[in-house]
Amino acid sequence: MHGLRGDPAGGRIARDVEAVTRRDAAAKLRGTAEFGTDLEAPGMVWGALVGSTVAHGRLRRLDLEPARRLPGVVAVVGPSELAGLLPSGKRDAERPVFPESILRYRHEPVAAVAARTLAEARAAARAVRVEVDPLPVVSEIEDVFPEWPGEEGPRSPHVIAHVRANHGDVDGGFARAEFVHREVYRTNGVHQVALEPHACLAEVNDTTWKVTTSTQTPFGVREDTAEILGLKEDQLVVDGSWVGGGFGGKAAAFLEPYALVLARACRKPVRLALTYREEFELGRTTLPSIVWLDTAVRGGKMTARRVRLLLDAGASLPGRDFATGYAIAFLLGPYEVPAFELEGYALRTNKPPFGPHRAPLAPQTAFIGESHIDSIARRLGRDPIDFRLAHVWSEGSTTPLGQKVGPFGAAEALRRAGRLAALWRKGLKPHQGVGVGVGFWGTGVGAGGEALLRLTADDLSVLQVEHDIGNGSVVVGLPAVAERVLGLPSGTVRVLTADTASAPYDSGVFGSRTVAALGQAVEKAAQQIGTTLAKRMGVRAKVRLEVERGQFFAVAGAKRVAVRELLTPDERRGGGLVVRDRHYGKPGTIDDARVREGTFYAYHDFAASVHLAQVEVDRETGAVRVMRATAFPDVGTILDPEMVRSQVEGAVVMGLGTALSEETLWGPDGRMLNPGLLDYRIPTLGDVPPIEVDPVEGFAGAGPFGLKGLGEPPIIPVPAAVANAVADATGARVTELPLTAERVARALKLL
Amino acid sequence: MSFSLATPATPDEAFEFLAQDPEATAILAGGTDLLLDLEEGLVRPRTVVSLRRLPWREIRWNGPRLTIGSLAPLADLEADAGLRRRLPSLAKAIHAVGSLALRHRATLGGNLGRASPASDLIPLLLVLDARLSLVRRGDRRELRLDEFIVGSRRTALAAGELIESVTIPAPLPSEYLWQRVRLANDISQVGVAVARGTTTSAWRIALGGVTPRSVRLPSAEKLLGPGLPAPLAMELAAQEAAQRAPFTTDKRATEAYRRRLVYVLVKRAVAAVAASADALPETPSPSRTAKKSVPAKARSTSAR
Repeated sequence: MHGLRGDPAGGRIARDVEAVTRRDAAAKLRGTAEFGTDLEAPGMVWGALVGSTVAHGRLRRLDLEPARRLPGVVAVVGPSELAGLLPSGKRDAERPVFPESILRYRHEPVAAVAARTLAEARAAARAVRVEVDPLPVVSEIEDVFPEWPGEEGPRSPHVIAHVRANHGDVDGGFARAEFVHREVYRTNGVHQVALEPHACLAEVNDTTWKVTTSTQTPFGVREDTAEILGLKEDQLVVDGSWVGGGFGGKAAAFLEPYALVLARACRKPVRLALTYREEFELGRTTLPSIVWLDTAVRGGKMTARRVRLLLDAGASLPGRDFATGYAIAFLLGPYEVPAFELEGYALRTNKPPFGPHRAPLAPQTAFIGESHIDSIARRLGRDPIDFRLAHVWSEGSTTPLGQKVGPFGAAEALRRAGRLAALWRKGLKPHQGVGVGVGFWGTGVGAGGEALLRLTADDLSVLQVEHDIGNGSVVVGLPAVAERVLGLPSGTVRVLTADTASAPYDSGVFGSRTVAALGQAVEKAAQQIGTTLAKRMGVRAKVRLEVERGQFFAVAGAKRVAVRELLTPDERRGGGLVVRDRHYGKPGTIDDARVREGTFYAYHDFAASVHLAQVEVDRETGAVRVMRATAFPDVGTILDPEMVRSQVEGAVVMGLGTALSEETLWGPDGRMLNPGLLDYRIPTLGDVPPIEVDPVEGFAGAGPFGLKGLGEPPIIPVPAAVANAVADATGARVTELPLTAERVARALKLL
Repeated sequence: MSFSLATPATPDEAFEFLAQDPEATAILAGGTDLLLDLEEGLVRPRTVVSLRRLPWREIRWNGPRLTIGSLAPLADLEADAGLRRRLPSLAKAIHAVGSLALRHRATLGGNLGRASPASDLIPLLLVLDARLSLVRRGDRRELRLDEFIVGSRRTALAAGELIESVTIPAPLPSEYLWQRVRLANDISQVGVAVARGTTTSAWRIALGGVTPRSVRLPSAEKLLGPGLPAPLAMELAAQEAAQRAPFTTDKRATEAYRRRLVYVLVKRAVAAVAASADALPETPSPSRTAKKSVPAKARSTSAR
């Protein structure tokens, strides 16, 4: 299956799968698809959250009585009410439903209410009196460490993660350098901006706690919620709704525990949804960072590198040192370097908890690393693409942390980008520039999942737990895997979705893993169907399926038998031929001797992502216009060309927001200054240039047929390519994201 | 948020509603700005009087004089062939407001009545010397726009009074330039309007987005002199404009950057108007739709 390694010329895969119609299109176009904000149940009441009035403080008194007295109110729940509502099981002390004493960020939920109408619920939430003794607010990284900390760093009470790694003779590398290139970069927070806000519907009866929710991970919500509420996992049933965009923002429990507690308190179904303002104020977003990069250069090569990272983690960081190690490793990029030293801190501040955003922190770290390598190339007078080619990984390279690199299409993508850049440069006008960005990603194929396929005389279906999040990975990708294994035309395999009580386990639709990882379980289950049928037909040849007038036939060579004839009597009477399979990936290994402190990540496979962007810069105002962009995604194999195109285009648009206009702004009191789409600016159609996609095939990933996940990689190099194009156009280096016109104007020394 | 919504069918009915509870009444003339304030709880009126059934949406030329009904949706104005041909700067400024969906709702009167410091229309209407016709039961008065806008989101509109129409005495060679973080659906960090009077040849410059209240800049205007300015005069006027106004820093731009933008945009707008000085306003617009749909009579009307 994975015999496509290495040679891009010989390993090309014919595009023998034609584009398929989106199976969710009809329901979504007709408006019958039920999203989180559409959920309803008979007798349903509405929930609302009561938030902290300060970003940091000690809760003195929480007076729920004024809310209880209001009309329509059916439940008011604060920390003191929980004991009477929840089983006596152990609750996660790190994640209390409601904080009992210390409030860590503004709008942190301290109580929740439910009432017969939404307006009554909101009025009741406003009526709760929250009395707080304010504590000093740490709103920015500089409040903790005004500069890179020395020995005292790890002792700061704000440090929640500290990671270090090194390898090679770093001091010697710097001592022998012809020059050392030193830069400091900053990035700001970005929000996922899913069109649909978080929303769920909770129903609790004597035996079961059930929540239907818009989530990327029903089983993840079950695990998180069970821990938070102290329930056994099998007491809790999580059902997914259609998801109106996730982008990482719906990859963990969020509103579900509050809704369940309210439903338990009032014994009615409770619908809880965030307003869009709350989406921002409570958002689990990517937060700011400051990075120091020093690179020793000798003989036209990078010989030693030192990277230091301060990451604003907000009130908490899921995975802590794992997340910090994960982020910092991206700063070195997909480049070989003989000696390096990494050190990073994640700092607790009084912002909402940090959350993942499509390829968490990778667009930011790629912007930093790629700006840095670009400016070294320019300082050397080298072509930025040639300079990268002199360092970039290929199969068999060693990552800084000592992992062997698998098939990796970066060099091929860079060569194509170089040829296109030369063409673009021919027509370049003054104040226009071309920039390249390179990123890499280890597709999240490690997180586990199981697939259940069911074959009857006239149907083949995949049963799993997640609804599609909008990208087609569930509704197009998973069935396409089964179809390809069994030789079926597209559109013949159905996807069925069930709740956590009925569907097989899967870790979630995130990490670019749906087709790449869960798809492997589907692939293996489909292969099982093929071998089972072959056995029953008494053939050794590979069996494929055909559909004729709605009936399935198994075909092996000249032999063709109706599936009905191949099913056992029990299967015919009952549920058909049911097969299950699973995929729990094993990552590669890193060299533990290089890790000094914390956790570093070993990748399962290596996906390169190379983009080229052309920009025009207004030399008087600093305004940047992106004129065109071309992506060279290292996809391994193409399962469906339209999915590749739409994933890349969407990622470029989203990445342009990170590059040019999106940033969460915070006041010194921990208040978010732009909690809305007016001043948190995602791109509009007018801001989006023509986007071309030139996929690099033949460097096999770990997924079915050698494909690599594609949800995240194409966003990674976008800010980097834009920033490098701006530098190419102007000679000025902008060292902070996003590249607003004002920041470009400062880099151009216009103010 | 709860309020009662009144939708009077005639101006007289509207005046009645407005008189009932003037202190706690909000006027809805499109609602693209008011609804945000209602949603945020920044205003809590007991009554909202919607003007959507009132007639005032005519675009009328009387010789050079242009009168626009206050309830004309901005989308209708930007699509109006006569306006695009005879006063392209205004059509352009209107096109700069929000998004097309928003401009189908938003009205000229609503934009002026809300008196946003970042309005894309107020600076240009200031240099075009716009006047407002204000009506209330049995009473009518005319105010110049600079008298009408008294501060950030504050106007001289009296209780019970409504904007009936906006009049521009004559189209002038003029330009509106702005900058924002993104192209559409955004608030301008700076808006610069420049016009050149055809009778006095005096230059007019007004700024939006930088001061609590859009203002003309007489000291910069004077530096441009009466005729076509020399490059040095343009430079000095742009510098003067960038220094003069009381700029603010907010989340959309710092004071320093706003000054930079004013300097650049004043230079560019003056240059554009100077370059079009011979091209008088009645020059047909390059837009094909404009040519097709404008009746011959309107085309022959002198703009001066």
